[in-house]
Amino acid sequence: MHSVTAIVVAHDGARWLKETLDAVLRQSRPLDRVAGVDNGSRDGSGRLLTEAFGPSSVLSLPRSTGFGEAVHEVVRRLPRASGGQEWLWLLHDDCAPDAHALHALLRAADENPKAAILGPKLRDWLDRRVLLEIGVTVGRSGRRDTGLEPREYDQGQHDGVHGVLDVLSVSTAGMLIRRDVWEELAGLDPRFPLFRDDLDLCWRARVAGHRVLNVTAAVAWHAEAASRRRRRIAVSDDHPRRIDRRNALLVIMANLPFWALVRSVFRNITGSLLRTVLFVLAKQPANALDEIAALGSVLGHPGRLVQARRARKKGRKQGYAAVARLLTPSGATWRRLADMIQRYLAGEGPVDSAGRHHAMDTSSEEEGDELLTDSGLFQRMSSSPGVLLFLLLAGITVAAEWSLFAGGLLGGGALVPVTGGASDLWRLYIENHHSAGLGSDTWAPPYVAVLAALSTIFLGKTWLAVSVLLLGCVPLAGLSAYVATRRMISYTPARVWLAATYALLPVATGVVASGRVGTAVILVLIPVYAALATRVVAGSRRAAWGFGLLLAVGTAFAPLVYVVVAILGGLAAVSFAGVRRGVGLSLGIGLGTPIVLLFPWLAEIVREPRRILLEAGLADPALADPRLGAEALLMLNPGGPGTPPVWVTAGLVAVALGALLLRRHQTIVAIGWGVTLFGVLLAIVVGRLGEWPGVPLAFAATGLLVATALTAHRIAEFRAAGGLRRMGALLIVVVAFATPLAAAGLWILNGAGGPLRGDLPDPVPPLAAAWSPNGERTLLLRPEGGRLAYTILPGRALYIGESDLRSPAAETARVGTAVAGLASGRGGADVQTLAAQGIQFVTVPGPVDTALQRALDSEPALERVSLSPTGGLWRVAGTVTVPPPGSGGETLHRTWLWVQAALVALVLVLASPGARTAEQVEDYGDAPEPTRPSRRRSRNPEEQVPA
Amino acid sequence: MKGLIENRFGLLALVLVALGALYGVAFVSRPAPVPEKAAQQVKVAVESVSMVCPDPGGGRMTAVTPLGGQGTPSGNDGGAATVAPMKGGKPLATLDKVGALWRQNVPVRTRPVTVDGMGAMAAGLEAAQTTQVTSGAQRGLSGVRCVEPGAEAWFIGPGPAAADVTLHLANSDAAPADVAVMIYAGEGPVLSDRGNGLVVKPGEYREVKLRDLAPSPLVMAVQVTTSGGRVAAAIRESLGEGKGVDWLPIAAPPSTRVVVPGIPGLAGQRELYVAAPGERDTVVQVKAVLKDGSYALKNKESVEVPAGSTTTLDLTTGVGGQPGALVLTSDEPIVAGMKMTGTGSMQDVAFTAGAAPIDLGSVVADGGPGKRPGRGGGKQESRLVLSAPFTAATVRIQLLPQHGAPTAPVEVTLPAARSKEIKLTPPPGAGSGFAVHIVPAPGSGPVYGARVLSEETGQGVLLTAQPLALARTWAIVPATVEWPGVVLP
Repeated sequence: MHSVTAIVVAHDGARWLKETLDAVLRQSRPLDRVAGVDNGSRDGSGRLLTEAFGPSSVLSLPRSTGFGEAVHEVVRRLPRASGGQEWLWLLHDDCAPDAHALHALLRAADENPKAAILGPKLRDWLDRRVLLEIGVTVGRSGRRDTGLEPREYDQGQHDGVHGVLDVLSVSTAGMLIRRDVWEELAGLDPRFPLFRDDLDLCWRARVAGHRVLNVTAAVAWHAEAASRRRRRIAVSDDHPRRIDRRNALLVIMANLPFWALVRSVFRNITGSLLRTVLFVLAKQPANALDEIAALGSVLGHPGRLVQARRARKKGRKQGYAAVARLLTPSGATWRRLADMIQRYLAGEGPVDSAGRHHAMDTSSEEEGDELLTDSGLFQRMSSSPGVLLFLLLAGITVAAEWSLFAGGLLGGGALVPVTGGASDLWRLYIENHHSAGLGSDTWAPPYVAVLAALSTIFLGKTWLAVSVLLLGCVPLAGLSAYVATRRMISYTPARVWLAATYALLPVATGVVASGRVGTAVILVLIPVYAALATRVVAGSRRAAWGFGLLLAVGTAFAPLVYVVVAILGGLAAVSFAGVRRGVGLSLGIGLGTPIVLLFPWLAEIVREPRRILLEAGLADPALADPRLGAEALLMLNPGGPGTPPVWVTAGLVAVALGALLLRRHQTIVAIGWGVTLFGVLLAIVVGRLGEWPGVPLAFAATGLLVATALTAHRIAEFRAAGGLRRMGALLIVVVAFATPLAAAGLWILNGAGGPLRGDLPDPVPPLAAAWSPNGERTLLLRPEGGRLAYTILPGRALYIGESDLRSPAAETARVGTAVAGLASGRGGADVQTLAAQGIQFVTVPGPVDTALQRALDSEPALERVSLSPTGGLWRVAGTVTVPPPGSGGETLHRTWLWVQAALVALVLVLASPGARTAEQVEDYGDAPEPTRPSRRRSRNPEEQVPA
Repeated sequence: MKGLIENRFGLLALVLVALGALYGVAFVSRPAPVPEKAAQQVKVAVESVSMVCPDPGGGRMTAVTPLGGQGTPSGNDGGAATVAPMKGGKPLATLDKVGALWRQNVPVRTRPVTVDGMGAMAAGLEAAQTTQVTSGAQRGLSGVRCVEPGAEAWFIGPGPAAADVTLHLANSDAAPADVAVMIYAGEGPVLSDRGNGLVVKPGEYREVKLRDLAPSPLVMAVQVTTSGGRVAAAIRESLGEGKGVDWLPIAAPPSTRVVVPGIPGLAGQRELYVAAPGERDTVVQVKAVLKDGSYALKNKESVEVPAGSTTTLDLTTGVGGQPGALVLTSDEPIVAGMKMTGTGSMQDVAFTAGAAPIDLGSVVADGGPGKRPGRGGGKQESRLVLSAPFTAATVRIQLLPQHGAPTAPVEVTLPAARSKEIKLTPPPGAGSGFAVHIVPAPGSGPVYGARVLSEETGQGVLLTAQPLALARTWAIVPATVEWPGVVLP
């Protein structure tokens, strides 16, 4: 005579619970007693339990209680039944047994008196024919093995001969267990609040000599809500996959006898590492992390393992034989690994065939509703046109810049060979007295700080930061343009066209060829300015702070950008100030922030207005063409190295002129053209003053592109109209895309190099660098165009930004005379003059001019150290001491640096999104982690789950 | 206005007008092309000169600073030149008078003598040594211009198999010199470890018998280089008794066009030496620049030089006894020199070599003996052989006697592609000698030349030659500019 107590544990399972309770109460073999446990549900599960079982049979426990603990709690309070065999029937809230399930289970128990634990055949809740489990076993690696193919339909193919299967374990969902066995084994181990608790219990039952049976005649439908992440797990904060893996390892290690354990530890460590690598290769970093974290958690808490093993000591070794034959055979692991690799190579990704219950399976294709919710970060990324565009532009860039990855120092044009690290740049920025040149007291320009910060992000590697900024400026500008126009332009092909054309403007290729880091930064920032400006004129205060900060960054690199933005902003203020309140103030914030942040430096610039036209780096007049043709300027071509022929941008201008004919968007097109005309006018002024008009032309191009792209959706209308209009639309598209395609083609064809090269040697010969322990200076001479150009290096190559420092005029003049005298070979005291300034070495890069070499050789105070085709090096005889740097001015500079740092921090805080405006966070869209669950919930209609 | 904007074509027209205006502005404001302005070079007086006379013992030394080279017109103050043995000891002389020749017989075994000039005495300071031996194995007239220490020197002439060749190395600097000697023989470059890594310590003087480095070459070009420090190098050739002796002048470094000046109008053998130290064989075109024009010599139009080797070409019949110069051109850089032999039963040789044009003037310290005969008893004749191989030139020649005022400059016109030989007669007050100062007039083409001393003796003509070298009067000061961009190539 049996007495069965059903124990239903609910936790936020109201979706399934109603059906579960109905199924429990409608069993053909009525239950003797029922008990419900509500683990702090918030969705009314407790109420449902109470309605079904009555208030006296329902226990309320805290939210963090695990399944095992809940059952323990019930069993502890459950009075013993009078007479007969007493059974506990454990049920999850998402597990609905068939009406005859209990009947079949008990019959099997009668037929197999040694059976202490019995479980039903589990099928899927949604697709009720799909088999989930007919008992579970486990490999020595801890891998769960159901012995089923994924999505296998139940056609009785696995049913046992007598309706029962001897298995290692059955799920706790629908587990029927003898109460005396439960008490003998101390029930489910509370160490495993979730997952693998069933395996552990059954293993111990097996070791104790009981049989564990899966009764295929009994059926239950299981939603596997927790493992499929259909509900939040309150027991632990970890990902279920990680908990599962950890528990699996723990169960295996706790239950194996000692020698088997040793083997298992080794195989699990290597196996886990291998799997981690495979996951990384398969671009599933989350899985990889879970795998390695689980292993770390098990190995990192040896105490827990020892404790668990002590509790299972009894009969472990003797009973292992009974367990071992039910474990997955060890060859299966290798077969599965081979399978996995094969599938990975076939492009399917490592789908775990039978581990669906808990594992790694985010593979959405198995479930309809999973497909709707999340297609995976990688898939989403790779299908985004923006990312594809970025990758395409990056490919074009690599193809064009192939010659620049030569392994030497990157430099040329406006860029001095990039040496030093982030710490050097920080020191350059904060020190008062610089050793560059003849020593300088000028404060380092603020772009040094920006580059230093970037270098810090790139692990202190300045060359990497500069390379990414400069060489990557084309794809970065494209991405920036694509992302920034998201809110302005809804027609995606137009955005792609805009971003591609913008990224491949003549300005961009010119920037790369002439090494203009300043304009490269501006090029990436202009779309951001445009995007932020639309929000600033809409009155957003936070956007104004961000705009101000980014404008300060841009201004530090190229002050001209501030002039352009200020004029455009002034015009905007005139037009919008009346429309919306607060626009004036926002604009004031945006335009005022750079002035405050860069104040001392800007004051210097204003004193020498020509410097407004210059940008970060060397101001080599040879890089600009003051005789640039008028047609080039109108075609947005700034001239100089690396710029394509004038006709390349003709398509863009033609399409933009065509946009003027559209009557519907005339205001926007007029504004865009206004910006363009203004930019071109400014470019003419700048160009005729002998400087490179890249920045104003970039603005001009932006105006043109935005105006055109905003009207581009009309193309779709034209195409739909058919006939002549359709042909017109096609023509316009061809003309429009001709610009980026031609630019890309010519760029790849001609190469991105120019003055910029990637194979520069260190300008200071290694010997000179090695023999300048105290910063002894090196005089670098190079005959150029009939003149002798020289510079003085502080025993090492110049850092980026050091070329902007000024040395005292009197000393510079004196040294200049001495250098001229030295190069003439007249003898005399020139070398002594140079030595007094701390110059220990004179170097001439190769090929060394013979006259100069003879002059230096004839100087008795100079000893030649080396002469080769790569250059010559002379050493001033005797020791040379570098004059000590000046002093004074520290306090002011220090104070300003602190103030500046505080201001930057303040502006950053004001510009960063706050908690109050959570709806704004979603607008960024690229910060999906916190918002994803909510989106997913909202898109996951509940009615998909049968109530 | 509103109507214009709302018209479909109104806006387009407006924009086109604006673009046209911008085009106009850009077109009009386009600056005229600026012609590339040649950077101006300034010449300044040399302020410090030092040189080494390799072995003046037993002969006469001369030193002079010409007039007109000083930065200040009354530049006699503040400068002095010192003539002193390199190994130290009492200076032979201290010179402080510009334009006056110092000439002194130096005792035997004096070894190298340094001549250092500072300040006003430095500009154009020149020194030379001339030795006359009338009998014995060293019979002959030999002379050499005292050399500035340098990092590289080229010589070309007969090899150790044909003569006793001694390389004199002197280091007058404070730093040791690491010297390497490379010999290009008739069969190709002589690879020898012994020529490398000769370290000449400061103040040290060394004589190296080239026979020890390469015993077999009959002809040779020698390259002396230092990989550290500077060295004053000179080579003395002694062809054997009755065959003559002389110093090899420093030859112009390898170049594709070499002018070998200073062939005197004297009878005797003329043998051209050409070396191609490069990697490729070359054919050298030979042209003579003589009194009556410049032309290729019959049957001696060209000479083939295998890579890395030295070749000779006998030009005795071609040049004959005419004064002149040779212009050699080739595709590969070459070094060239010439051996000139005097007539008589006992011969003497003189050497000349490829030289640089004397754009800023040249000084010959030993212009010739005075009216009083030299120690040998015979009468020495001095002549200048000047050539203007490319374009016409005018030179001013001034003689600087030992005592008394310098003579008034004499202008000599050289038509293009012609040579001229000028016999120098000692000026009044020449005492035992005079110096010569040659300055090309502005606008002249390149001028090359040499001074040749000869002396008739009963046994034959004694002979020595010294190609004119650019005077160390002026230094060209380049325009300089401070520019951090020089760190970029």
